[in-house]
Amino acid sequence: MGAASAVARRAFADGRTRTLSFAALIAFLGYASPAGYRQAYPTVADRAAFARSFGTNKAVELFYGTPHDLLSVGGFTGWRVGGTVAIFAAVWGLLAAVRFARTEEDAGRQELVLGAGTGRRAVYFASVAATLAGLAVLAAALVLVSAAARLPLGASVFLAAASLSPALVFVGAGCCVSQLAAGRRVALELGTVLVLAAYLLRVVGDVAGGARFALWLTPLGWAEQMRPFAQPRPWLLVLPLATGAVLIAVAAEASARRDVGRGLVEGRDESPPRLALLGSPTALAARSGLGTFGAWLGGTSLLALVIGLLSTAFTPENIPAQLRRDLRKLGSASLTSPGGALGFYFLFFVLGVSLFGCAQIAAARRDEADGQLELLLALPVGRMRWLGARLVLITCSTAALALAAGLFAWVGAASRGAGVALPRLLEAGANCIPAGLLFVAAGALAFAAVPRAAPAVAYAFVLASFVWELVADLLGVPSSLVGLSPFAHVGLVPGAPFRAGAAAAMLGLAAAAAGAAIAVFARRDLQGA
Amino acid sequence: MDAIETRSLTKRYGRTLALDGLDLRVTRGEVYGYLGPNGAGKTTTIRLLLGLHRPTGGSAALFGVDAWREPVAAHRHVAYVAGEPTLWPGLTSAETFAYLARLHGSTDSAYRDELIQRFRVEPDKKVRALSKGNRQKVQLVAAFASRADLLILDEPTSGLDPLMEMAFRRTVAEAKERGQTIFLSSHELSEVEAVCDRVGILRRGRLVDEGTLAELRHLDTQTWEIDFAGEPPDLSRVRGVSDVERNGSTLHLEVTGDPSDLIAALAGADVVALHTRELSLEEIFLHHYEGSDAGGRS
Repeated sequence: MGAASAVARRAFADGRTRTLSFAALIAFLGYASPAGYRQAYPTVADRAAFARSFGTNKAVELFYGTPHDLLSVGGFTGWRVGGTVAIFAAVWGLLAAVRFARTEEDAGRQELVLGAGTGRRAVYFASVAATLAGLAVLAAALVLVSAAARLPLGASVFLAAASLSPALVFVGAGCCVSQLAAGRRVALELGTVLVLAAYLLRVVGDVAGGARFALWLTPLGWAEQMRPFAQPRPWLLVLPLATGAVLIAVAAEASARRDVGRGLVEGRDESPPRLALLGSPTALAARSGLGTFGAWLGGTSLLALVIGLLSTAFTPENIPAQLRRDLRKLGSASLTSPGGALGFYFLFFVLGVSLFGCAQIAAARRDEADGQLELLLALPVGRMRWLGARLVLITCSTAALALAAGLFAWVGAASRGAGVALPRLLEAGANCIPAGLLFVAAGALAFAAVPRAAPAVAYAFVLASFVWELVADLLGVPSSLVGLSPFAHVGLVPGAPFRAGAAAAMLGLAAAAAGAAIAVFARRDLQGA
Repeated sequence: MDAIETRSLTKRYGRTLALDGLDLRVTRGEVYGYLGPNGAGKTTTIRLLLGLHRPTGGSAALFGVDAWREPVAAHRHVAYVAGEPTLWPGLTSAETFAYLARLHGSTDSAYRDELIQRFRVEPDKKVRALSKGNRQKVQLVAAFASRADLLILDEPTSGLDPLMEMAFRRTVAEAKERGQTIFLSSHELSEVEAVCDRVGILRRGRLVDEGTLAELRHLDTQTWEIDFAGEPPDLSRVRGVSDVERNGSTLHLEVTGDPSDLIAALAGADVVALHTRELSLEEIFLHHYEGSDAGGRS
């Protein structure tokens, strides 16, 4: 028992940065949303107007799910916080599970633990227990801030249980994909596809008439159907609990049966040589990242298509005057035209493109941590050229992703006769690039200055900026503070004009940060894992 | 111009002094053994030689080119074998050879094919499916096939079986014949003894001894093993004698300088047999470390 509890403590400590970051994010969202709602819509009349417009809008449901009560602070929180936290919970569960079920094994540490006489099942369940303890930390954070925002305690506990319930399923799913794949990267990619599929099923269930059943096929839909603060349905918790338990048990069996360090489904270990894209470190980075890029491209294009199809969802009559004034605060000229709606949604592509950039910075850091960079720099390969060329590659792939979003949004919008021209939507795509590159350059600077923390710093900067953009206006903070987030400076093209000055400033900052990153990197020691 | 020259090369990591004013010269065509226990600073030296870490003080040059300031020019004539053979897990061995050859700019493909046979490398196997020893072989084949003027090898035979170790020694001999310089960091004493012209011994970031094996033996120190018919006499106070060890009626000791006092002390004793030999590298090595804390950082 001593050994198992040592493993559990170790696993809990391993995940503490991730858990605390997510807890901070969830806490901020959980506090700012009810507080902001109370401030922005103080009277019942305001709330009724908000409910009439936003509450029935398919396009808004795409992001947050279907609201069940928008007249109370609790109902709004259950919808807005619940919908977002459910997605965070899914991502957190996947990351936590792959960490203990695969990364430890890839690094060879699992063999040490098993070799020390601890059974496989004991190690596995100790790690699961540590992950559940981490989940309890997230839940405690949400309950505490909800109580601080003057929401009833019992209902807040149910909100936390409901919105974090997808984490249970995705811990199980993460454990299962970790058994299938022969490495951390493939496991994470498979898991990401599952999270995306769960999200898309929820979107289809929410927005496509006649497809409500899709909500019952996804843990995110279950969380939504639990309806915290509206008409709570606690018995639905059985679904994620049972699914999570079954998946965790299945993965435990699979883990006990397979060879340590291998997956149940193995790629081929032998292949005839393929010599394309081996001419330079950048070419090899492109070659190794092709699968990941393809997945991002596919997911982005699909989402853009759906958004294009939904661009006609807002009509002038369902947006009241008060709300229009509020929306102006958001900087959105008009949501009632397809162009305005698309401009608003493209903010989410800025987020997606920026997260892709972070993933690329994390990949560059992995090259260093795993020792490949040491081999490269021992060859006649210059540091500045290596990092410079890598940043050019990231810039190109980021731009390609952004333009694909524009193209597919146009395909969707055109098929609905939205009347937004292709060049305007390509411009909307291109408009994601300056902010995305600013985040990439900030990540590169972190890579140069604090290499071990770089991926965490890069992701945290993007997510914190985005959450700030979502809630800062609700909180009514001064515009100078709202402007701290790069997202605040993105013109909502195609609904609003392209903000050339802001874009140029962001590109200038990005270039300066990238230059600084290269200069700092040229002077530092390489650092292993 | 020397293949490697360091001047007062110093590296600190925070408060740890990993390398302390190293002055090292490796001439062209030489096989230099770089010895030291774990944490003595061997890998730190290599990282500074390759410009991967920045010196806190002093400088390192490869063929006269500064390793930190001009790494690209310095590495044109260098091949490196890392102690941890990570490589690129998604590439096959053949793809790894092609990639490294393109980055290096030169490779002798006929010799590479010969080495692939010699080290029994499976070219179509992906690196992720290889054991540590097999990945080490891939690195060795790529490095020797590059025909680089200087090979920097960091514990290259860890993980190799005895047959492959023999193949390694043969390959080193061929490189030496061709005039290539080899810097071999190791704690495999038998390997260093077998292939190296000169040896440097590192202790806590300092070079404590350096020279050919004969020089390291200090010529005047020998090991004596003496069998007695009865009780062995006490020889520990005899001039020049040290490290006396008794095993039944046999004494094991080291004699430095003129052994005539020892011979005189043995005159009255009933000696059955007497063997003398020069110190092994292992004994020299232990001399430098016994009783000392060799800790530090590699």
